[in-house]
Order: sequence, then structure tokens, then C-alpha cells
Amino acid sequence: MDNVVISSKNATLLEVLDRVLDKGVVISGDIVISVANVDLVYLGLKVLLSSVETMEGMRGAPMSGANEEPT
Amino acid sequence: MDKREGNRQNNLSMCIYLYCVTDKMPSLERIEKDFGAKVYSVSWNNLYAVVGSVPEDEFSKENLKKNLGDMEWLETRVRIHEGVIEGVMKNACVIPFKLATLFNTEDNLKAMLEEYSLDIKTNLRDLEGKEEWGVKIYLSMEMLKDALLKQDEGLSAIDTEICSASAGKAFFLKKKKEGLLSTIINERINGYGQDSFERLSKQSIRSCINKILPKEVTERQEDMILNAAFLIEKEGVSSFVAVVDSLKMQYHESGLFFDCTGPWPPYNFVSFQSSAI
Repeated sequence: MDNVVISSKNATLLEVLDRVLDKGVVISGDIVISVANVDLVYLGLKVLLSSVETMEGMRGAPMSGANEEPT
Repeated sequence: MDKREGNRQNNLSMCIYLYCVTDKMPSLERIEKDFGAKVYSVSWNNLYAVVGSVPEDEFSKENLKKNLGDMEWLETRVRIHEGVIEGVMKNACVIPFKLATLFNTEDNLKAMLEEYSLDIKTNLRDLEGKEEWGVKIYLSMEMLKDALLKQDEGLSAIDTEICSASAGKAFFLKKKKEGLLSTIINERINGYGQDSFERLSKQSIRSCINKILPKEVTERQEDMILNAAFLIEKEGVSSFVAVVDSLKMQYHESGLFFDCTGPWPPYNFVSFQSSAI
């Protein structure tokens, strides 16, 4: 059996995208790109983000951490 | 001269890009060297926000949409995002933020640190000494079918019947076999996925199941059947990996492939409870 562990440094772009685009703390910065609510439509590894919203002046809006959205 | 300076400044209007927050003074020289990107920290009350300076223009509503569709731009951004956070993570517990969390001024960023300081501290305390690991399980349908046809008694029994049946009866038996096969396949996929997730969860403090990604995204021939993340004590990583190894061996003949990656910044295990009231 080959080693099962791939260090995250050598991880595929897919693995990184799967986290960076979809997870992590979402807060209301000055400009919040609500990648949280974006439906990710991937075409091969070409990633299209279908609805990127830029919200300004939303301080105080409810926020969430790791988002779990059913597909 | 003044005018030109002014124009240049307008063209290169910068904003603050937040990577992560930690409570230890981060050493950033190494990260800067690795990425050629300028990274610095903004502190408030023993909390440190690790940030970079990015052209505001790249992240404007219209341009961001365009840029996110540009694989080269996206990969560069995503790799820097991940790389900076991993760099900080080497020496400190971190709270990773989502790609493209931006601030106009340091004061606004500090105000955010103040506003969410309790959440930040709670998360850092919970995450201390722990690592996030990811496991994705892929299934080769062909291999599973082959394995089932060899192993399953019900299916072999039908096969035997088919051999000695008339053409008409054989047709119905084949239909019956297909139905049975697809039922068994579903049961097995659920069973294997659940067994794997439960055994891995036992090695972890927290775990979660994420969206299954389609083949168009994974670019693999096998179907993804589980996409899970686990929060593990650093000391527990070797036993976690040992479980992955044994699952891999156990299920290899059934067509399962395990991709285990880590340690990741705890993207899946950070959550801020309080919203500003």
C-alpha cells in the first residue's frame, strides 16, 4: 500500500478550493464577497461562480462559520 | 507631477485582505519569501490579524466575478490564501477566513477584532493542539460490481439458475439479477461510507460531512461517495492515519479509494456564534 497521506501543501487545487471557497469564517468586512452563498458550478477544473454578491455596509449582519449547505 | 502621482494612486487603490487571525505574534518573513507577497499583521489586544494588501480593483463586484472564472487568477489567489495561513499555522493556532474577506482600513479591521474578540478567543481555545484532516472516498463502480458478483450468494444463485433456464425465463432472471445488484450496490455504498465515517469519527474530536463533488469537478473516473473533515488532537493523528490505512486495505477489493489530506487550517471547525447586537 502506498502512503495514504498527502500533505496539504501538495494537495490538488480541488482540495484547496473545496475549503477556501466554501469554508472558513465569514464575517462582515467592509466588502464581503458572499462566496458562502455562491453555487459553485465547476466545469472540469474551470470554476465559475454563478452569483457573486458584494455587500457593503453590512456590519452587524448575522454571520456563520463553516457553512453546510445542502446541494 | 503631482497630478500623475495622484492618478497612479487612484489606479492602484489598495485594500486589506484578511487571511487569518491568531493570538501569537506571527513571524511572517518566511511566508513573504515563499510567496513573494507582502504580508503583515494588524494587532488589537493580543490578537493578530494576518493580512495582505491587494488592489481593490481586482475585487470589485464586476471584476471579481470575472477573476473567479479565470483559473490562473483563481489558482494564484487560492494558493496564496492557503499558503499564508499554513505558514502562520506552523507556529500558532489559527482561525482561517474565507477567500476574499476585505477591509478598507486598519481601523475597520481592528474594530472587527474587537467586535468578535470573544468568538475569536473561544475558537482559538477550542482549536489549540488540534488539526483538521480531510478524507474523500471514491468508488470504482466496476470494481464493486466485480467484487459483488464474485462474493454475493444471492447473485451467484441467480447466475446458476440463468445457466439452466429457458431463453424466456433467463430474460426475467437477468432483470431480477440487475435489480438485486443495484439494491446491493446502494446498500454497500451506504454501508461502507457510514462504517468509514464512524470509525474515523471515533478517532476525532469533531467531524463533519461535506458536499459530494461531481465528476466534472474531481476529474476522476471514480464517483466520490464521501467528503468528510475531522478535527483531531495532534497526538491522535497517527492513529487516525492508521485507521485510514486499515480501511483502505479492507475496502480496496470493493473498489474504494481513500484520499487523506492534512493538516489543514481548521476551515470546517471554526464558527462564530455571536453576531453584533
